[in-house]
This record gives sequence, structure tokens and C-alpha cells, in this order.
Amino acid sequence: MRNGRAFWLFVGPFAIGLLVFVYVPIVWSLLLSFFDARNTVTPTSFVGLRNYADMLTDKPFLSSLGTFSVFAAFIVPLTFVLALALALLVNQISFMQAFFRSVFFLPTACSYVVASLVWKLSIFNGVRFGLANTVLAWFGAEPIAWTVSTSPPWYWLVLVTLRLWLQLGFYMILFIAGLQRIPHHLYEAAWIDGASRGWQTLRHITLPQLQTTSVAVVLLLLVAAYQAFDEFYNVLGTDRGYPPFARPPLIYLYYTALGSGGQDFGHGSAGAVILTLLIAGVTLLQGRVITR
Amino acid sequence: MLAACGSNTGRGGNGQALRQWYHAYGEPGVQQAVERYAKSYPKTPVDVQWNPGDYDSKLATSLLSDGGPDVFESTLQISSVRSGQVVPLDDVFGDARSDFSEPILATHTVDGKVYGVPQAVDMQMLFYRKSMFAQAGVQPPSTVDELIDAARRLTRDGVKGLFAGNDGGGGVLAGPALWSAGLDYVRDHQVGFDDPVAAQAIGKLRELYTSDSLLLGAVKDWAEPDAFTQGLVAMQWTGLWAVPAVQKALGDDFGVLPFPKLTSAGSPSVPVGAFGAMVNAKSKRIDEAKEFVRWLWIERTDYQEDFNLGYGFHIPPRKSISAKASKLTSGAAADAVKFVRDNAKASNPPDWTSVMRTAFNDAVSRVVRDGARADEELRGAAAKVRDELKRLYG
Amino acid sequence: MKAVRYLALSVAAVVFLIPFYLVLRNGLASEQEITAPSWTFWPRSIRWENFALLFSDPAVPLVRSMVNSLVVAVLQTVGQLLLCGLAGYGLARIPYRYANVVLYLVVATLMIPAAVTFVPTFVVVSSLGWVSDLRGLVIPGLFSGFTTFLFRQYFLGFPRELEEAARIDGLGHWGTYWRIVVPNSRGFFAALGVIAFVTSWNQFLWPLVIAQDQDAWTVQVALSTFLTAQSINVSQLFLAAAVSIAPLVVVFVGMQRFLVRGVTETGIKG
Repeated sequence: MRNGRAFWLFVGPFAIGLLVFVYVPIVWSLLLSFFDARNTVTPTSFVGLRNYADMLTDKPFLSSLGTFSVFAAFIVPLTFVLALALALLVNQISFMQAFFRSVFFLPTACSYVVASLVWKLSIFNGVRFGLANTVLAWFGAEPIAWTVSTSPPWYWLVLVTLRLWLQLGFYMILFIAGLQRIPHHLYEAAWIDGASRGWQTLRHITLPQLQTTSVAVVLLLLVAAYQAFDEFYNVLGTDRGYPPFARPPLIYLYYTALGSGGQDFGHGSAGAVILTLLIAGVTLLQGRVITR
Repeated sequence: MLAACGSNTGRGGNGQALRQWYHAYGEPGVQQAVERYAKSYPKTPVDVQWNPGDYDSKLATSLLSDGGPDVFESTLQISSVRSGQVVPLDDVFGDARSDFSEPILATHTVDGKVYGVPQAVDMQMLFYRKSMFAQAGVQPPSTVDELIDAARRLTRDGVKGLFAGNDGGGGVLAGPALWSAGLDYVRDHQVGFDDPVAAQAIGKLRELYTSDSLLLGAVKDWAEPDAFTQGLVAMQWTGLWAVPAVQKALGDDFGVLPFPKLTSAGSPSVPVGAFGAMVNAKSKRIDEAKEFVRWLWIERTDYQEDFNLGYGFHIPPRKSISAKASKLTSGAAADAVKFVRDNAKASNPPDWTSVMRTAFNDAVSRVVRDGARADEELRGAAAKVRDELKRLYG
Repeated sequence: MKAVRYLALSVAAVVFLIPFYLVLRNGLASEQEITAPSWTFWPRSIRWENFALLFSDPAVPLVRSMVNSLVVAVLQTVGQLLLCGLAGYGLARIPYRYANVVLYLVVATLMIPAAVTFVPTFVVVSSLGWVSDLRGLVIPGLFSGFTTFLFRQYFLGFPRELEEAARIDGLGHWGTYWRIVVPNSRGFFAALGVIAFVTSWNQFLWPLVIAQDQDAWTVQVALSTFLTAQSINVSQLFLAAAVSIAPLVVVFVGMQRFLVRGVTETGIKG
């Protein structure tokens, strides 16, 4: 009983806030998903599972889930490998280590709004004076309309590089932290056994020792990719709405529930529940597969 | 530091200020002007709130709660009428009703009732560079095919023929393409583009897109005339609001046109729309809010003129005001007024809902950018629009 | 081998710094120079007056909004460290029948995108009368499941011997936490503090909707007015971006070593 009081002394304030500002809205959303809730959040017309049936047969929504898979398929492995590579490089040097670490970590300070601005208006704009097109021109190539062209889909290059720039530093730090926890005697033992300093120690000591970090990194990357919104919205969205390609689920739901004149909270919430179940499913599955 | 903690926001209680919302107009001076109007209202204090950023989402969210504005500007959506978010304003018009431009009033009417008092008319049209046309020996286009041909022939020396948005024209030109073939979004509660000709009309946008004569990925999008004034293109699709900037940069070296027709059944067109002043049905002071709207947008014709012509460039929705405005009697502006009279089409009619718009825009985008089959894509969109119409009208 | 490493790192560093260079270059150049057909590495004449123009624009209260952002970010950082730290410790160290239930409820929130519950959250906050109010900007963001979860993971690995020594000295959970645990976890608190500060400074959608009066705008909202204004001035836009990230760059460079140490101490587990 005394433990109960102590527990709530510590957890209580947080729990109350969580209840009011997180769980009330969640439950509210859940309720909305069973109603015809256009332009209202206090609906009266109960429709059962119809919103769910609609969303599960809605082609754009399903294709937005496909979009996520494509995006995740690029961004998760790329970030993982590059962040690990940066971490290994930075961790192995002594001179100017802090400098390099700072440089790679610095983009984390930027918001997606700022990064989108730079990518869309300065690096990858479609006219002659964009940085990417200027570089192309040095090699005599024609300018490319990066965010417009759908064949080939250059916009993926724009979106993936943007996210890489913003998030690599953070995951690099996670890996560096993981590397510093590996006991040095493991390496010494391996060297005595004649292992070479490069690939063999990486494969047999570093990677297995980084397992918990790796699981956490993949998990965070997956959830972040699922929830992709900001850079897509700022790079590809226009005042005419959002194009039908590279449309992640959250963007689609945003336009369903909040976009100009949308305000269909029933379908929006049903889609959100489906998305949440999917994230939870993938997360559990991933956790199980990797830790096995 | 946040004055917001203070009390002058006037939310809720009686005897405090009415809350009026505008989206952020780009032209300098508009914010100060609307604040001045509000301040001069003799009956009640009015707090004007200027809303930058994603105004639609912000307004939509606020209208759901009790914290929203009493009076706000918006285009009309049938969904806000059906869910009772806005109040009919027929009685505030009085005798002035017949003085408002009929097609503009129609964009604020649902089921015979008017829900918004039009504030300012905006329209889009095609700007072209006279000197570049003369140099290339090209005539201003009067059909869609001539437009495509002109764009092609004007593309040379790093100059592109046409800029119609960074999305390649599928966004702003989709409506005009339908109208060019005598079709529409929705007509008499029926799908307006469920016709084989629609595929041909949208196919023309694809032809334009693949002709290599469009400017794509400019720094500023179609709504701003920079690509045109910097000489990156010979033609640009933009709006009336760009006229002062274009005039300043190019003098007389430009002309304006409506989007041309495609078939003999179709007609040239210019998309028009107007923000209207509306009253929030959740307001605790509906009568006071209505009275304020009447005073500001109907009684004070001098304010309507100032608002439309003092800063940027809009057409006053009242015929008596636009007729006597000297700024609108010559040059491109006079042409624009003529286009609005003869070729106006509602850019966003109230029963063209976001579900319909998304379905249609997606289809057009896939045709134009990916080369998908126009007939199949449009049939799919038509089916979706039909479902939505059935939901609305039974 | 060493040279190759430094070469690779230097190339990567240059690539990483390019966007910062672009922000500064575009911010200090004239609009004509940005859109000129030939690339200039650095503006021919640096236009310092862009700063004056930026800070004097009455339509975009940049100074005011930066102060607001600072107030919000500081309050949210302190509040999160306080609330989530306590909760994380409770969950990690105080055995209680329903502790696991609470933990599951905390972890579950990690999977639910905030954009999804956005509208109901707004309705809740607005019914409290917190629109355009400091409370509305700060309080709903305090209850981060992510931060609490990280705290719990960290406290699980906190050396028990230290706490037991405190127990022998007669301290309860409360005293142990404040006198022993917190002082010995400064690095970790600093690390999560930096993350909380950055997240708060950079959030956009919530302040956009909740900070309706111009006086309550945060810097990201002010930035978006430059983006969405009908006639954007590109160089002002970039300069505003530069000004908005400058404080964070300072915080980062200063706090970065705490961050690495802090994360090393988490023992993040999947």
C-alpha cells in the first residue's frame, strides 16, 4: 500500500496529463471512427464498421500504405548503414573527433520546414540556377525537374536525401554510444586469436555487440518512416493539394480529415486506427525477428 | 512575454469584441486596412486576426470548437452547410443583392440560400509576352491546339513556352481543360465530365506536358509571375493579382487571354472565385456578427473598393463598384473584367467536395505526369464523384 | 588507412555543411543573384541590410516569435525532464501491482501518430480555454511517452548500490531520487533536455493551430508566413531560416558531448 502511494507520487502527475492530453483524444478518435463525422467531432450518426470497410477498399489509402513501404525500404537500410559507417569512422579517429561528430550531428538542429526549404528552393529546384542543375550543367547535362518528374521518379532522391541529412547524425550518436559500451578486451582477445582488424572484428565482435542498439535504431527508424509527414508536405504539397504519388498515409489522412474542405473525421480516424495497428504489428514482428 | 496570457482576445463572454478572421493576404497594407475597417465600426469592438500558414486547416479545426471566430472569410463548401457550421445570410443583402455579380453569388449559394458575402473576386488567366510572340511569328492562341503549338514554337534559347505550375499544369489547367470541351466538374447534381470527350480534353494536357515546352520546378509557383517577368517563359498561367507586378516589370509588353476552347461545344474560360464573409453558427452573438458583416461588406461600399483596388488587384464583386473603378477600364485589367463577364467559371463550386476534388486531381495527375490512360482514369474518378453526389443529394 | 578515413570524413563533412552554406548564401544575396543563371559561390556584395529588413517587417514579428519559441522550449524542456523523469523512475524502481499496465499505456502512445489525434486534442485544449495561450502551447506537449520510456530504460541500469546506500541513510524514494539519482544523472538529463528543446523549438503544426494571435506565434509559424505569403521574398526566407536555426546550433555545439555521454548511459533496449 505504501508502494502504491509512492508510485503515484512519482507517476501520478505524468499519468494525469497523459490521460487528459493523450488518451482522451485517442479514445475520442476511436469513437469517431465508428460514426459519420463530417465537419463535426460530436457526431450522432453511428455507422458501425462502414468507415473501416471504406478505408480498406479505398485505393489511394492502400496505395499510400504501399508508398510507406517503398519509402521505408529505402530510408531504413540506408540510414542504418550510413549512420553505422559514420559512427565507425568517427569512433576510430582521435584528432578532430569532436569536430566531425558535431558537423554530422548539426543537421538535427534544423526543422523539417527549413530543410524542405533548402531542398526544394535551392538544391533541387527545376530551373537552371538550382545547385543540382548547376552541377549537371558542368557536365553538359540538361536541367532536371526534380520534384515534378514522375518518370524517373526523381522526387524520391529529393525526399530520401533530405531525411538522410536530417536524421543521420542522431542515429550516428546512438551507434557511437553503442560502440563505446563494447568492452575493449573483446577486441584484444580477437587480435590475439589472429583476427584481422577490419572486416573480421566488425563481423564477429562489433556487429553482435551492437545488437541492442541496432534493434532500437531499426525500431525508431520504422516508426519515424511510418509517421513521415513534414518533408513530404512541404516539398510536394501545393496550394492545389497533394499529388497522387509519394503520398504517405499520414498525408492522405491529413487531407481527409483536415485538408481544405475535407474534415471527414470518421474516415480519417478509421484510417488512423488501421495505420496504428499496422505500426504496432510491424514493430512487434520486427522486435521478435531481430532479437531471436 | 506572451500577451496571449492576457485578456484582450475576447473569447466567449458578452460585451467583448467580435472576432474576425482573415487568411494572410500577400499584398502589403491589407492587414492594416482590414484592421482600420474594423476599428471604425461604431457598434461593437472587433478584433481582427491575421492567419498565416495553412488557413483552411486552422479554420476547420477552430470551427469545431467553441474557440473559433464569429466572422471569417472562406469559400463555401456544401459540407459546412450540411453540418450547420455557417449561418444563412440572405437577409443581410437587402436591395443590394441584385448588385452582386450572379456567378460569384452562386459560389456562395447552397440549396437556394446564400452563406457568404463576396468580398473580392479573384480570377486566373493566361499572360503572354507580345515581343516574344512577334519574334517567333506566333499569333495569340484561340484554340487548345494553337496553344500547344505556340508553346512548342516559343521554346528556344533557354526560354520555355509556358509555365502553368510546378506540377506541369495538371492542377490549375484541369478545370479549364474540361470547360474547353463544354464539360464541367459537376452539373445539376450529376457528374459533369462523364463523357468520352473529357479524355480528349485531359489528353491535351498530357500532350502539352510531353511537348518539352513547359517550365517545371521553378522557385516560385504559378501564383507568382516571377518566371514570366524574368523572361524564363513566353506564357504563364497566373492570376489577376499579378497584373501590377507584370506591368512594372514589362510595361506594355504583355497581353492576357482566357484559356482557349478545344471543341465547338466548348468555350474559352477563366476560373473565378471569391472569398466571402461568413458567420460562425457556433458564435454566441450571431445577430451582432451578421450586422457587422452587413455594415462592412454591403453598407460600406467605399471599403469594398479600397479592399479590392487599394493594395493588390481584385475585381469588386458589386457591379456598381467595378463599373466605376478607373483602374479596371484599360489594358489587361479591362480585358480581365470582360473575361469575367463572358467566360467566368467557378474555380471551386460549393458541391465540388474535397473527396471529388482529390479523385479528379489524382486522375488528371496520373494522366498528365505518368501517361496513364485518360478514359480509364476519368471513369474511375467519375464513379467516385457519383458516389459522393449520391451521398449529398440522394 | 588513417588518411583514407580522414578523407572520407572530410568529404562527408563538406556534404553535410552544404545546406548550411546555402541558407547563408541565399540569405545574404540579393534576389537577382539567387536566381541568376550562373552560380556565384558567395554573394558579390553581401547585403547586410537584409537583416534590417527582416527584423523590421511588421507583418512577421520575428523577434517576438523567437522569444515566444524560447519561452515555450525552455518551459517544455524543464517540464518534460521533471514529469517524465519522475514517471520514468517510478516505473523503473517502485514495485507496484499496476506498474506494468501503466508502462504498456506509455509505450502504446509511441505508435500512435500525433497527427491522428490532432483534432480531438485541439478540442480538449480549446475547451480548457487555452487557445493562443502559453498554457495551450506548452502543457499538452509535456507528456511525452518517448521521454518517459527513455528515462525508465536509463533508471533500470542505474547502479542499485548507490540507492541502497541512500536507503540505509534513511531516505525514502523521494529523497533518494532528488539527492542521489538526479545529481548522478546530470549527463543523461542534459542529453534528453537537448532533444526536448530541439523538438519543441522545431514543432510546427501544433503552434500553427493553437497560437492564433500574432503575439503568440512561434518562430516556425513566423517562418511559414514567409513561405506562404503570396509574394515570397526568397532571400528573406532563407535569412529567416538562418536566424531560426542559429540558437539551436549554439546549443548543439555546446551540449554535444553531454549528448553522447547521455546516450551511452541509456542502455536503450529494443
